[in-house]
Amino acid sequence: MTSMLFEILIYPGIIFILIASIIYSGIMRKLAARMQSRIGPPIYQVFYDLIKLIGKENIRPKQAKPGFTLFPAIALASVLIAGLLIPIHTKIIYFTGDYIAIIYFLLFSSAAIFLAGYASSNNLAIVGSIRGIVMIFAYELPFIISVLVPILAFNLNSIQSFDTWLIAYYPLAALSMFISILAKVEIPPFHIPNAHQELVDGYSIEFTGKRLALIELTTMVKTFVLILLMITLYLGGAQNIFILIIKSLSVLFALTISRVLFARLRIEQALRFYWILALIVAIDLIRVL
Amino acid sequence: MNEDTCYTLPLGPQHPALIEPEYLKIHLDGETIVNVDINLGYMHRGIEKALQQRTYQQDQFLIEKICGICSSIHTLTYCNAIEKLLEVDIPERAKYIRMIVAELERLHSHMLWVGIAGYEIGFDTVFHMSWRDRELVMELLENISGKRVGYSMNTIGGVRRDISKDMAENIRTIMDKIDIRLNHYINVFVKDSTITKRTKNTGILTQKDAIKYSAVGPVARASGISCDLRKKAPYLLYDNVDFKEITHNTNDVESRAVVRLKELLESTKIIRQCLHLMQKGELTIKIPDTVPEGETISHGEAPRGEIFYYARSDGTDKPYRIKIRTPTLSNIHSLQAMLKGQQLADLPIIVASIDPCFSCTDRITLLNTRTGMSKSVDATYLKTLKR
Repeated sequence: MTSMLFEILIYPGIIFILIASIIYSGIMRKLAARMQSRIGPPIYQVFYDLIKLIGKENIRPKQAKPGFTLFPAIALASVLIAGLLIPIHTKIIYFTGDYIAIIYFLLFSSAAIFLAGYASSNNLAIVGSIRGIVMIFAYELPFIISVLVPILAFNLNSIQSFDTWLIAYYPLAALSMFISILAKVEIPPFHIPNAHQELVDGYSIEFTGKRLALIELTTMVKTFVLILLMITLYLGGAQNIFILIIKSLSVLFALTISRVLFARLRIEQALRFYWILALIVAIDLIRVL
Repeated sequence: MNEDTCYTLPLGPQHPALIEPEYLKIHLDGETIVNVDINLGYMHRGIEKALQQRTYQQDQFLIEKICGICSSIHTLTYCNAIEKLLEVDIPERAKYIRMIVAELERLHSHMLWVGIAGYEIGFDTVFHMSWRDRELVMELLENISGKRVGYSMNTIGGVRRDISKDMAENIRTIMDKIDIRLNHYINVFVKDSTITKRTKNTGILTQKDAIKYSAVGPVARASGISCDLRKKAPYLLYDNVDFKEITHNTNDVESRAVVRLKELLESTKIIRQCLHLMQKGELTIKIPDTVPEGETISHGEAPRGEIFYYARSDGTDKPYRIKIRTPTLSNIHSLQAMLKGQQLADLPIIVASIDPCFSCTDRITLLNTRTGMSKSVDATYLKTLKR
């Protein structure tokens, strides 16, 4: 019982996921900076940012609708639950069909953030949220297919860590998962909902203080959880923490390369891209069925 | 288009896509732009009035502050105007130094624009890289004038500082470096697929519209209009140097980027020729404090387009009137033609594609094009703006 509590709360549970995702966010900022020939902030800068945000005043705009406070918290909670469901090297919680739950909780954390943006009743936030919801329709189909491919291939009841490198057997599905991660955590070229230039950070414009910290933390945790999912399903799993760190850092490196290498696409260009991607990844789905 | 289904989105006065305060009221239908209202006047500084209260010598330093980026071309045009009134001819070496500084300014201004254009389409790497390369030019300018911004090089009757042999050598080596980088950026803007996806066929300004909205500078040249004042009405010694006027006729944002970047290759050519042609000689001539009665105009090719000065003197040491028209004022109206029917996502890059510099633009008169009414800004009008 104590060991299970330890696993849920500390390693490889909530505390580990939170701290690792903050550090990874810092590493990504540093890597991106070096690739853009800047010095960049120190890796622990993200901790300072979050501590600062938590200390700030909580401002609730007058026009805010109910759910303004609730949705950011729900977003972080659901993405953490998704993290707990992913078997890193031990299964903490598992039940029949938990992969559906992972897909659901990851989707719901995105949706909750967009609902929070919608609840803030700001014109720019609403446009950002609408874009976010449209993007969900774009990337969710290839993402779901790429999660289901390994599970259907081995006829499993619940998700498990694969020791073989399934990327070699299902490269299209692995690629589609990677590209869906880009859109899920809004890394260029798919940082469309929070477009800084036209929407002033979109859905998060009205958020300050602790609520903004929750939203930022959600994105960081989502990045880390999706990297874990990618490793578990396609990159041969992580037998111990060193392998985990090496593999996750390489995925992070690939994400960072995408971050510095592309301009933002327009939303209809992104939609077209993802629907073509869904067609391509369907080839792998047909192969396993 | 039914006005009821439209959705109004404010762009500005405070907005990250606009570095300076300006208010664009955007009427949206979904994500498509139906109409744009342009509201100028948030940065009015009363600079033309202030010029009348100071002497000609003091005005040089105030005029530099009109624009932080094209400060040299402003003083250059002003000095040209006053020298015309005084009927003096400045030494040849001073003319070449003025040209070198003006072209260096064009270099750093356009490279800044390349960075902004990258930033506006969400491509931060282009922004960081081009600003890193722009730093080479900024250091050169600091080396020549002692300042990075507002060089105070031009003065009525000549220039303040000389370009020594070491500096000339330094400029030559850096120009070679810049040429390599510029060719790289031209390559990036023409070939990179995510950039061309955003810049090709966006913000179309046809040649007809460009003439109708009186676009100037790179914006007009990107629509195939030849309007480079350095060729059309050479000032200083631009007819002594050999360079091409760049025009491009695809009319879109990419065209504007290509025009600006290719123009810079010509600028480095001009700088090299100026360094070659420069003979030893005086830098300034003596000029009197008072300017004889009369009026004149003067213009120059600023990085953003044609800059226009009108000066009138009443025989004292202070100008009677100085009227300035900056290129953004001519270009900003073409935004209406560019933006209609475009996507909201393309708005920042289209606005940035005219390289707006709003603080230079804001003047005291408001014109309502629909009713043909004009009015001046006064205290009551300012109070109506206050919420």
